[in-house]
Amino acid sequence: MSNTKPKLVIVGNGMVGHSFVEQLCEQRLQQQLEVLVIGAEKRVAYDRVQLSSYFNGAALDDLAMTTAEQYAEWGVSLKLGVAVVGIDSDAKQLLLADGSRENYDKLVLATGSYGFVPPINGRERDGCMVYRTTDDLLAIEAAAKNAKTGVVIGGGLLGLEAANALKLLGLKTHVVEFAPQLMPVQLDAKAGALLQDKIAALGVEIHTSKVTQEIVDGETGRLRLKFADGELLDTDMLVFSAGIRPYDNLAETCALEKGARGGYAVDNFCQTTVADVYAIGECASWQDRIFGLVAPGYQMAKIALGHIAHSLDIAEQHSGDFLGADMSTKLKLMGVDVAAIGNSRGSDDTRFVELMDEPAGIYKKLWLNDAGNVITGALLVGDTSDYGTLLNLYLSGHKIEGSAAALLLSGDAPALPKSNNDLICSCHQVSRGSILNAVADGAASLGDIKRCTKAASGCGGCSASVQKVINEGLAAQGVEVSKALCSHFEYSRQELFHLCQVEGIKDFATLLAKYGKSHVHGVGCNTCQPAAASIFASLYNGHVLSESRDQLQDTNDAFLGNLQKDGTYSVVPRIAGGEITPDKLIAIGEVAKRYDLYTKITGGQRIDLFGAQLSDLPEIWESLIDAGFETGHAYGKSLRTVKSCVGNTWCRYGVQNSVGMAIELENRYKGLRSPHKLKMAVSGCTRECAEAQGKDIGVIATDKGWNLYICGNGGMKPRHADLFASDLNDAELVDLIDKVLMFYVRTADKLQRTSVWLESLDGGLDYLKQVILEDSLGIGDELLSQMQTVVDNYQCEWKTSVETPELRARFSEFINPQAAPECAVLQYQRVRGQRIPVINVAPATEEETL
Amino acid sequence: MSWEKVCDPSALPVGKGIAAWVAGRAVAIFNLGQQGVYALDNRDPASGVSLLARGQICELAGELYVCSPLYKQHYRLTTGECLEEPQLKATKVDIRIDETGVWLAGA
Repeated sequence: MSNTKPKLVIVGNGMVGHSFVEQLCEQRLQQQLEVLVIGAEKRVAYDRVQLSSYFNGAALDDLAMTTAEQYAEWGVSLKLGVAVVGIDSDAKQLLLADGSRENYDKLVLATGSYGFVPPINGRERDGCMVYRTTDDLLAIEAAAKNAKTGVVIGGGLLGLEAANALKLLGLKTHVVEFAPQLMPVQLDAKAGALLQDKIAALGVEIHTSKVTQEIVDGETGRLRLKFADGELLDTDMLVFSAGIRPYDNLAETCALEKGARGGYAVDNFCQTTVADVYAIGECASWQDRIFGLVAPGYQMAKIALGHIAHSLDIAEQHSGDFLGADMSTKLKLMGVDVAAIGNSRGSDDTRFVELMDEPAGIYKKLWLNDAGNVITGALLVGDTSDYGTLLNLYLSGHKIEGSAAALLLSGDAPALPKSNNDLICSCHQVSRGSILNAVADGAASLGDIKRCTKAASGCGGCSASVQKVINEGLAAQGVEVSKALCSHFEYSRQELFHLCQVEGIKDFATLLAKYGKSHVHGVGCNTCQPAAASIFASLYNGHVLSESRDQLQDTNDAFLGNLQKDGTYSVVPRIAGGEITPDKLIAIGEVAKRYDLYTKITGGQRIDLFGAQLSDLPEIWESLIDAGFETGHAYGKSLRTVKSCVGNTWCRYGVQNSVGMAIELENRYKGLRSPHKLKMAVSGCTRECAEAQGKDIGVIATDKGWNLYICGNGGMKPRHADLFASDLNDAELVDLIDKVLMFYVRTADKLQRTSVWLESLDGGLDYLKQVILEDSLGIGDELLSQMQTVVDNYQCEWKTSVETPELRARFSEFINPQAAPECAVLQYQRVRGQRIPVINVAPATEEETL
Repeated sequence: MSWEKVCDPSALPVGKGIAAWVAGRAVAIFNLGQQGVYALDNRDPASGVSLLARGQICELAGELYVCSPLYKQHYRLTTGECLEEPQLKATKVDIRIDETGVWLAGA
């Protein structure tokens, strides 16, 4: 390191401190600086928000946000496990707990906060702990081994997280809250009460309006809490989660001023009152406010970094001012959806509208301005699906068109006037305006936008919305957004399907030569290849890997298994209708034991076997086939499973044989390749235990026959299926499903689920009813015969693959297996008696990162 | 540079990837017949998992890429450069085919 580079020291390697370093390295600023990170904890930055996932089976390493190797590659020095104990601002030096000193030119304090322990007598006893760091996690885990009960003091966000952790550890869990309700900072009394009911229903005991006066020896537990009202509560362990306090002790050692509630006072650039010292995250106090969420901390990191880079002349402009942050939040507490927007508690004289749906356990409230047409805050408990819409309304300050109450009745939210401030990506806080600006600057694809704005690069849930905004931006520039499949075909999937059908095209080379655009190599891409393969399969239903079609298949179809994060596959044999004989159940267990496969029951009433090596797949399939199984197509865009309740076979209420019908349907449509995966279910009565209304095809029995529901969807955007026809006999039911599915297969766009397809059909459900029920297009017989062709040509893809030498050869990993090691070097651990990967994503090597 | 023979030319499949074990590592070979033959280290730089040979071969803007099966980044067959994330790069491996065999550059 040359000494001429300015030295930047970051104290604290939590989520915000790490974000600062990450942003710095993304801009390659570390090449012009000497960067040192000092952290008091021994671990590199980890995700504190997800701490309780450790008790759900995540490893500590899963929580890590980075690795020491990554820092080394960036060229950032990292000193962990040593605290900074003083700042000598005259000498511009830090004093460390180990007695050493470090010089700095610029200093960033990102020391975060600690769990506040109220001054209760007895708080230092064994079995009393806090819940803030991975060390606390391990201490809680160790204490829980010898405990039956646990108490959390504090019923706020963090307290409920801690209670969740205790519950996951199997303890009888109590929450003690000083206020008369849970989450008193965010929720009003009604919302607090509803949340309390929901959490109590999970077996957690809630004690509100309780002031703990003393902790003494217990009788039925190790500790006893004595409350001011005279009541007692015995417990084996106790976790304090009564709020957080900023780590601001360095202020004692120099002229750092503090805010009114503690924290280092900072200005709009996150500068403290000492020259060249910045503070960001939960240790910073801006206008006497502390922001206890991670998003404002990331924002502060960006602003401080911009200001430092600008002041050192290594950046042309700084990153603007910090002007406070929106503290709206949406989260799941013990499985309960809760969201708070803006001033979510309102006040006595604030106008509001509220919705209490007791049977459904949903409470929603909007706080409004005096005119009653602008949202100033909102509360949602039990259903947070409107969070995005309401947050945008709140942030934009738009007037509500029409009735505010209508906003609370799901599904009927009035269309929002689009504003450039609308938040499209909530992971990275990207607005509509930012995306449109990027498009104006030349970005034209989702990939471009991900790179330059980070939108859709977090959880990815907003990809479709981002694409819509991109299309708007392109349309504004006069660029026509084409329906073309990809850069190789001008046609849509539907047009290509018809071209293949009419011309009898059965291979990709012919399709590309006849209808593709000019190209150099003639191989297509990972958009058009799988789309073509799906079309050929729907039309002719030949083996998906034969006749060079293997080159066209997407990840999972390519090897007839589901690729998992470590490069191994999972195997799902078909268990039609979820009905399985004891012998077959034992056979699956035997195969899983032989290959040491992690075994899990899926949501679709089947069994998933994980961790199979590519080269072991044929033998595993052979074992399953010998036991009478066939492929379950879990890897395909095709029929997955037909879920069923037990129906009138056993059930007191069943009116039809739902299991028999489910097995019949599954055996009919297995192997049908479609634009996207297909799920079905059959319920034997109106109690709907098979959840058929959440499926692409749902069948519900009545005493008059079957009711057919279509185009439902679980997953990210749930959609209830629509009733399509009632009181059908078995033959009528199958006839209609044949036609609906084949019409979908022929007309849907690539990777379009039935729910989206139905909504995109001109004329929607009524049009579909005309086509299928009235045969308005005169294609009914054609659809039926097409489906019959698919049914007649069914083969078990696993069986054909193991019996055909050239297909079986695909599953050898190496062309020279004799030279390769016996098995790939993969790290596994045993958790709850089963083998799972040690998830440690190896960072790119020096050669792989430029 | 030492060359190691991995198989006979006739054994190499055309139009798709296959891995070979050479000098203590897996190498992905992509034999596109008329369009040339390419090799990259089999390790997917984004995940550290050894599986690039299982990826789909794609043409984008006239260049050949392999699409990683895990997270779908595209790596250019001629250089190993990543289209989506410029900081990632698959390691290129030298390959030649003659009538005696398919040869990969050793360590």
